[in-house]
Amino acid sequence: MIPLIHFLLIGAVLFSLGLFAVITRKNAIQILMGIELMINASILNMVAFGKYDKVDNTGQIFGLFIIILAAAAVAVALVIIMNLFKRVQTVDPNQTKSLRG
Amino acid sequence: MESIFTNYEILCIALTAITAPFLAFILSLIFKKLASVFGLTSISISLVSSAILFFTVWQSQTFHFAFEWIKLANVSINIGILLNDLSVVMMLLVSFVALLVHIYSVEYIRKEALKYRYFSYLSLFCFAMLCVVIADNLFLLYAFWELVGFASYLLIGFWFTKRKAIQANKKAFIMNRVGDVGFLIGLMILLSQFHTLDIETLFGAKGIIHSSFVQNGVWVSPFSTMPDYWLSIAGFSFLIGAAGKSAQFPLHSWLPDAMQGPTAVSSLIHAATMVAAGVFLLLRVSPLFNELVLTSMASIGLFTAFMAATIALTQNDIKKVLAFSTISQLGFMVLAVGVGDNAAAIFHLSTHAFFKCLLFLAAGMVIHQLHHVKQYSSSKFDEQDMRNMGGLVKLMPVTATVFIIAALALSGLPFTSGYLSKDAILISVFEWAGAHGGVYWVFPVLISVTSWLTTFYIFRVIFKVFFGDFKLPFVLNKKLEDLHLNDPNQWMKIPAIILAVCCFAFVFALNPFSLNSTWLYQVFNLKPHSESLLHLFVPLYINVLSIVLIVAAYFIYAKNKIIFTNQKAWYYQLSYNQWYFYQLYDRKLVSLVLWKAKVSLWFDKKIIDGIVHSSAKGTLLVSKLTDWVDKYIIDGFVNGLASWVGSLSTWFKSMQSGKLQHYFVWMLFIFLSFMIYKVII
Repeated sequence: MIPLIHFLLIGAVLFSLGLFAVITRKNAIQILMGIELMINASILNMVAFGKYDKVDNTGQIFGLFIIILAAAAVAVALVIIMNLFKRVQTVDPNQTKSLRG
Repeated sequence: MESIFTNYEILCIALTAITAPFLAFILSLIFKKLASVFGLTSISISLVSSAILFFTVWQSQTFHFAFEWIKLANVSINIGILLNDLSVVMMLLVSFVALLVHIYSVEYIRKEALKYRYFSYLSLFCFAMLCVVIADNLFLLYAFWELVGFASYLLIGFWFTKRKAIQANKKAFIMNRVGDVGFLIGLMILLSQFHTLDIETLFGAKGIIHSSFVQNGVWVSPFSTMPDYWLSIAGFSFLIGAAGKSAQFPLHSWLPDAMQGPTAVSSLIHAATMVAAGVFLLLRVSPLFNELVLTSMASIGLFTAFMAATIALTQNDIKKVLAFSTISQLGFMVLAVGVGDNAAAIFHLSTHAFFKCLLFLAAGMVIHQLHHVKQYSSSKFDEQDMRNMGGLVKLMPVTATVFIIAALALSGLPFTSGYLSKDAILISVFEWAGAHGGVYWVFPVLISVTSWLTTFYIFRVIFKVFFGDFKLPFVLNKKLEDLHLNDPNQWMKIPAIILAVCCFAFVFALNPFSLNSTWLYQVFNLKPHSESLLHLFVPLYINVLSIVLIVAAYFIYAKNKIIFTNQKAWYYQLSYNQWYFYQLYDRKLVSLVLWKAKVSLWFDKKIIDGIVHSSAKGTLLVSKLTDWVDKYIIDGFVNGLASWVGSLSTWFKSMQSGKLQHYFVWMLFIFLSFMIYKVII
């Protein structure tokens, strides 16, 4: 039986890596990948905590929900990034300034 | 006698008499071309109204209309009209003489560019003078008294481009002010003592002045009491007021200067009417005077009469002689009031108005014609200087005749009005001196001498102007025929002839030798003269010597046979320099005033300006200090705050980098801070 702390540590490491990618990457797709990492970290936490609810399995159900939602979000995000690229020929979010006040 | 008019109609007639000239005054200023028509018409209306009033009021009834004007506590001042014997006589006199002068003026100033002003001012004067005469209270009288002074000021300065005329009208105005202050003080004393200024209530037959008395050094009236010297002060105040207007010593020196005005003005204002207003005032308030004031008044009148007569002896300017003669004759009137013979003063005032007005008009005719000569021959000479005249009787017979008639009246020779009026004064002075005795005999002696001097100086004028040789042709080096000198036309001659008729005694008395048959004298005379030897003796010795003097003057001035004056002698110089009053007033008084002005200028410049300047400097210093505080403290604080906000905003601005990831970092940072904060607390 793997103790809970290991899940949490892996989740924290994943989250941190995702966070790092979001903050430092210059490519929108890489940032999106960072976000995916953070989502996965949170799913891992949900599933890990889910062992304390053996009656309703709320953690697992939430995990499934999040995976579906993340897939949908990735689809939308990728479309946005593609349109962005069509319009300004770049996927660096720091270069897209046309909406800046 | 029952009047044919109702009270209301009388009021309307009186108002017509005074408003007609006032309307003419305004209309003349608007319709400039018709000025002389307005002037003549209005004064004719006044004359007719005055005549109606005269025949209604004279010796029958007194009308008094009053409407409340100003009410202060328990004192009310009315605006109203008092028509008694004195007012209607004066009204008739003023409007009659004024009408004649208006007619005369039409010709006299025909060539003036600004003649509408002349007629308008003349109408203003007539309005004011008629109002003075019929005002029912002293306050109203005072107001119009000022207005006649103002009209006189305007008319003296009619030729306002002449520097002398401007100085003369200024002088007249200022000297009149001195007198007016006296009048005003008198008014205030009367107001505080009697609580009214109504002439009828104060001085009428049942006036409250008669119920006031002096007891134990206190002047008691029904309303109030004050120390008795205030009675004398009140009397003296009115005396000063009258002296200012009637050109009595020491306020006489404006009148000779006033001769700078047109001669017609001199004849109306400065001979016949306005200067008589002073005497009129004395007559109005005469019950007020006590023994001290009356004696002073008599002395002033005597001194003025004598002084002015001596000055008139040596003047070369024809109008100056007449001016001093006027002063002298006004002195006679003041003397008459002083010795208590008001009737003689009124009578002499009336007769003097006629003959002195005529003298001026005749002199004006000479001056006017000589002025024409001056213009035609385009030469320069003084048309008023008698040294340029002589022998004019042949050239200007009408002028000479009327002048001689007026001169006879002035000298008081028989069959003239002057004979009656002047002898009335002389007899009264004799009786008065007889009653007092002692040193009072100076009065009749000096006044007799003055009377002889009067004869002498006026005949000096006649012989210098109308007889002897005409000097002007020699002065100008021209022939007599080239000068075209003759009598003026009808406009000037007819008024003069009418006045000449009025100089005869029969206008005033059926018997030209009897004072008791003189209607004008008897009405006002309260105490009939005793039929003493004086009535025979005084006229006799005055006239006999007068005739001797006329003959002497003829030989001195017409024939140049006797030369008895030494022009360097002190008495000649004293007279010629007008007793040095000019020098005294101009040098001493005026320089005193100028010195005072300089002192106040210095005070103003150094002290007042110094205070102002130093306070300005102080203010400047304070303002500089405030400026510094404002700049560095207040502005510094505000600016500092602003720059602090600016730098803060720059710092905040730096957060808004527009970079997505920066925002994200910030978000994370704030979220983590919040979390840490929550954990720690």
